[in-house]
Amino acid sequence: MTYLDWIVLVLTLTFIISYGIYRSRVNKNIESYLLADQSLPWYHVTLSLMATQASAITFLSAPGQAYTDGMRFVQFYFGLPMAMVVLCITFVPRFHQLKVFTAYEFLEGRFDLRTRGLTAGLFLLQRGLSTGLSIYAPAIILSSILGWDITITNIISGGLVLLYTVTGGAKAISHTHLLQMGIVTLGMVIAGFMVVHLLPEDVSFTDALHVAGKMGKTNVIDFSFDLNNRYNVWSGIIGGFFLQLSYFGTDQSQVGRYLTGSSIGQSRLGLAMNGLLKIPMQFLILMVGVLVFAFYQFNNPPLFFNQVQVDRIQQTVYAGAYQQLEARHDAIQTEKSKEVLALHQALEREDEVGIEKSRAILGSLEVDVQGVRKEAQELLVKANGEEVNDVNYIFLRFVIEYLPVGLVGLLIAVILLASMGSVAAAYNSLASTTVVDIYKRMIRSDASDMHYVTVSRWVTFGWGIFCIFVAQYASRLGSMIEAVNVLGSLFYGVILGVFLVAFYFKSIGSRAVFWGAVIGEIFVIASYWIELTAFLWLNLIGCVLVIGFAWIIEMIWPQSSVTTTTK
Amino acid sequence: MTNPNLPDQHEQDGLPPFVKSWPQMYTLIIGVLVLQIVLFYLFMTHFQ
Repeated sequence: MTYLDWIVLVLTLTFIISYGIYRSRVNKNIESYLLADQSLPWYHVTLSLMATQASAITFLSAPGQAYTDGMRFVQFYFGLPMAMVVLCITFVPRFHQLKVFTAYEFLEGRFDLRTRGLTAGLFLLQRGLSTGLSIYAPAIILSSILGWDITITNIISGGLVLLYTVTGGAKAISHTHLLQMGIVTLGMVIAGFMVVHLLPEDVSFTDALHVAGKMGKTNVIDFSFDLNNRYNVWSGIIGGFFLQLSYFGTDQSQVGRYLTGSSIGQSRLGLAMNGLLKIPMQFLILMVGVLVFAFYQFNNPPLFFNQVQVDRIQQTVYAGAYQQLEARHDAIQTEKSKEVLALHQALEREDEVGIEKSRAILGSLEVDVQGVRKEAQELLVKANGEEVNDVNYIFLRFVIEYLPVGLVGLLIAVILLASMGSVAAAYNSLASTTVVDIYKRMIRSDASDMHYVTVSRWVTFGWGIFCIFVAQYASRLGSMIEAVNVLGSLFYGVILGVFLVAFYFKSIGSRAVFWGAVIGEIFVIASYWIELTAFLWLNLIGCVLVIGFAWIIEMIWPQSSVTTTTK
Repeated sequence: MTNPNLPDQHEQDGLPPFVKSWPQMYTLIIGVLVLQIVLFYLFMTHFQ
């Protein structure tokens, strides 16, 4: 990175952190610290929801995923708008009316303390681990590409945000989310514009999409029904619906965002706008990845995008074999570039025969490229003795190598800001759940408001340290965005099942739902272990199992009286 | 479980923008989803 890039990076981060600290000034009580006094308008809620969900992984992994796998990942979000509708109708009015701090607080009123404790515990386990991954994902990539020390990068990625999260709580988080989303959006728009600008002179934006499309990268929609296919319309709508409903309805990092709305209407509107904006935003991020793919059809891409692992293999006995693969890869790419130009010309002439001919040749060359890449990956695994995957490195490598000075700093700031946005909300939610559901409820219930604010600050700090610690020990998990979603899918379905029983099955009591949840969770983990189905379906399976088991247990072992909410 | 006589949210919070009621807002969200799927399909077939 040049000095100008460093200046842009440091100024952007300093501006956001200073603004966060400035917004941290007034926190008179626990409601102010954890819920921003429930005073925020809908656009704060929307942007805060989006900033929480869109972590650094979104901006690193998604373009890389589009590069390797096409745009089909967008289908993952098809269930989100429907989930927003259900949340607006059912969850938001209940949570607001009961004036809860956390989603799990609601469950004690409906069931009992044990169920509240179980769901809060599952959340803390899942969120604590996945926040560690959220810190680690950009840190490992930035440290690899920029040569930064991984520990320091983890501390920057997970620690800077503590400066305003510990002092400012929910209000500081929401205000910084607003700015973060603005800068992140601007950065991605500029990146997309720059990719098009860097294409050969006679290749336009639509030409690039035609080239990528002919090579199968604009595969946005797949109507085939296949339980083992991760991304198709049905897994997105059905599995995605349950995942998003669980995530936004029962994960405190999101519930805490829309509970800051100044009224039921403002919280609803915030969620509704998220339902309208999320899919187009994800589509555009994936399109940047497809444009990067098109760019590399005219400029030879590296055989493997993670240079650290390539450097490592050069020091081993496999160096010669790897160089041979690189030479083969370059030869195929050169041939491919010629054929891409032929395709481009055929497209301009609207020569259908030429287009089909080029498409067939490019298809076959792409198979050859994938074959060489696979051989290279196998060689890297053999040489380096660890899992290798370069999906998360593709976009950043492009940024570093091709974007002009200054923009590199801005794009790295975008990745760190995205990370800070989601990590800040996660810290706040971990603190809310620990203090409200455990400390205040089970350990000390008679202290003053200021005492709980002080404890919340220390707990936020403690979770920050824990998550950075997890980040330090996170292993390499392929596409990080998938790793986080897989982890979520193991727990979300079960927690959602408990909430759906609470809302819609009034005859089922606390004992049945508790044991239903325990058995359901065991089944979900077993299903994942034996690779029964693609991970998105685990949300549905977990949810249905909890409801089913709870209903059966209630039938065989009925509780004499069912507790009802009295709060 | 909860008070069944929840206050009318339209009265409590006003109406959503652009439409006349919350149910219309929900219909709009689902309608936009369907429209997006159709547009994505057209996008895919056009460029493939």
